[in-house]
Amino acid sequence: MISVNNLSLCVGAFHLKDLNLTINDREYFVILGPTGAGKTVLLECLAGLHRIRKGEIWIDGEEVTLVPPERRRIGYVPQDYALFPFLNVKENITFGLRKKNSEKNEAEKKASDLAHLLGIYHLMDRNVRTLSGGEKQRVALARALATSPKMLLLDEPMGSLDVRTAKYLRLELKRIHEELEITTVHVTHNLLEAEEMAGRMAILNMGRLEQVGTPEEIFFYPQSQVVSDFLGTPNILNCDECIPIGHGLVEAICGKMSIILPHRTGEIKKIALFPQDIYVSKSRPPGPDLNRFKGVVKEVVPFSSLMRLNIRVDDIDLLTELPKDIFEDMNIALGQEVYLILKLRSLKVY
Amino acid sequence: MIGGGVFKAAILSVLALLTLFMCGLILSLLAYTDLKTVSATLLSDEVLFAIRLSLITATIATLISMIVAIPVAYAISQTQFLGKSIVDTILDLPIVVSPIALGAALLVFFNTPLGTGIENRLIRFVFEVPGIILAQFTVINALAVRLLKSTFDSINPRYEQVGRTLGYSKMQVFYRVTLPLARNGLIAAAVLTWARAIGEFGATVTLAGAMKMKTETLPVAIFLNLATANVEKAVAVIFVLIAIATIALIILRKMTSAREHI
Repeated sequence: MISVNNLSLCVGAFHLKDLNLTINDREYFVILGPTGAGKTVLLECLAGLHRIRKGEIWIDGEEVTLVPPERRRIGYVPQDYALFPFLNVKENITFGLRKKNSEKNEAEKKASDLAHLLGIYHLMDRNVRTLSGGEKQRVALARALATSPKMLLLDEPMGSLDVRTAKYLRLELKRIHEELEITTVHVTHNLLEAEEMAGRMAILNMGRLEQVGTPEEIFFYPQSQVVSDFLGTPNILNCDECIPIGHGLVEAICGKMSIILPHRTGEIKKIALFPQDIYVSKSRPPGPDLNRFKGVVKEVVPFSSLMRLNIRVDDIDLLTELPKDIFEDMNIALGQEVYLILKLRSLKVY
Repeated sequence: MIGGGVFKAAILSVLALLTLFMCGLILSLLAYTDLKTVSATLLSDEVLFAIRLSLITATIATLISMIVAIPVAYAISQTQFLGKSIVDTILDLPIVVSPIALGAALLVFFNTPLGTGIENRLIRFVFEVPGIILAQFTVINALAVRLLKSTFDSINPRYEQVGRTLGYSKMQVFYRVTLPLARNGLIAAAVLTWARAIGEFGATVTLAGAMKMKTETLPVAIFLNLATANVEKAVAVIFVLIAIATIALIILRKMTSAREHI
């Protein structure tokens, strides 16, 4: 278990303010926050890369606040992966093992096992400069896992990957976490990534922990305006019924709205729908009439560079967002009828 | 990109003028000698001595300079301490101060009680070969520190951080991660400082003197031959220096281009 007690730190422009946090054994814990929130600094504190003057860090019942990084038994994957360019893939993976005076054969076996686990065995003799972003990430992960660390620290691991590779690697990370059961702390600014990966998560903003809980607790019960604003104030639909309709699809009845979506377990209590994931159209969209609703604009509120529209669909008020220039082009007025299209892939169900 | 033709023509004209100037200098040397004279001069005892002495002293000065410059440059690049900018400025002085002034300062130092003590009890520098090495070291060390500092500055600190999390101490990370990452910069700094040491004259002649077949490095040989109006011999030695400098620059360019591909 990792415990952070009353941690305060100032590193350049980043400040951590009186943080208290507990991360359980074998947990997949995500630290979510906007850029500049201090997420990386917090991760670096766990790694022992900053001298802490106020507060304590405990790992497995042992205080490690002033223990240097080489004695913390952690695996660290920075955002840019930092693969050693003067070593090939195999040498990168075995780098930490060489320090541990592992037998060469033993180190190579471990590297080969990890390479198989992460699907990079065919890259073992490659120069790391020739690898793609996804390959680099997996090599960095293998290097971090090679020394059998007690915890794994991942700093924006999908930050420099394209959407498809990131999605694939999220699944891979989940599989590896389940297989190795290693306590993992994952830092990201991506809401979708956090929601998909986290067992529990923390929202960090301007060096302060705003809320800690399961994704469900945080999405449905944001405890402060900061969290609510950061998450984008999702529309929460309470569902009364969930009817399987075959082909892995269910029909969720939420009030007078009926939403068709892919779901396996067959029970949906709530659907979270972020304002940015609802398309607004003045004309009736073409195609089948699924997950499209007609509503009336009840309220228009400027919000930063966006316009927030409150649209009533039957008995439910839905909040949507449009960039100001698009809103002006569309010439939408109060009381006007509009069509809403739900972005199916962004629906979060609980 | 469209446009900018006049600007391009202007900068290329300046480039062409400078290249012509340098080529003109080299061609004018050829007018003073011929291949037969050059080869005969190069095989003379005096020039062979100067070549050998220059290579030995420059290599020793470069080795000492690198041993000192690596930790110094790393300290300036990676650590914060009180008075860092003052220390940095002091270490840079040999780059901007005339080598003759540095040589004179060394000469004055060896006339102080401490300097005389070193001369009498440890090693003689004034008008001796060790004086050449010390003069070269004093001039080139600032250059080595400057070049290595920019090399260490350019290394992403994440590499060292990852090395630490993989079980290596700060010292071990320096040897196992930082130095391999700085390899090309180290070689480039060594080549450049060595070439600078080979060509060093001002500090050398002031501290070690210009004594034929004793402290006669290649630049000193040029000076002595010009002083006795032996221009052909001086020109032959100049060609040796140009050849050494060209080889050094070719090695440097190869290192730099290899580095760009990282």
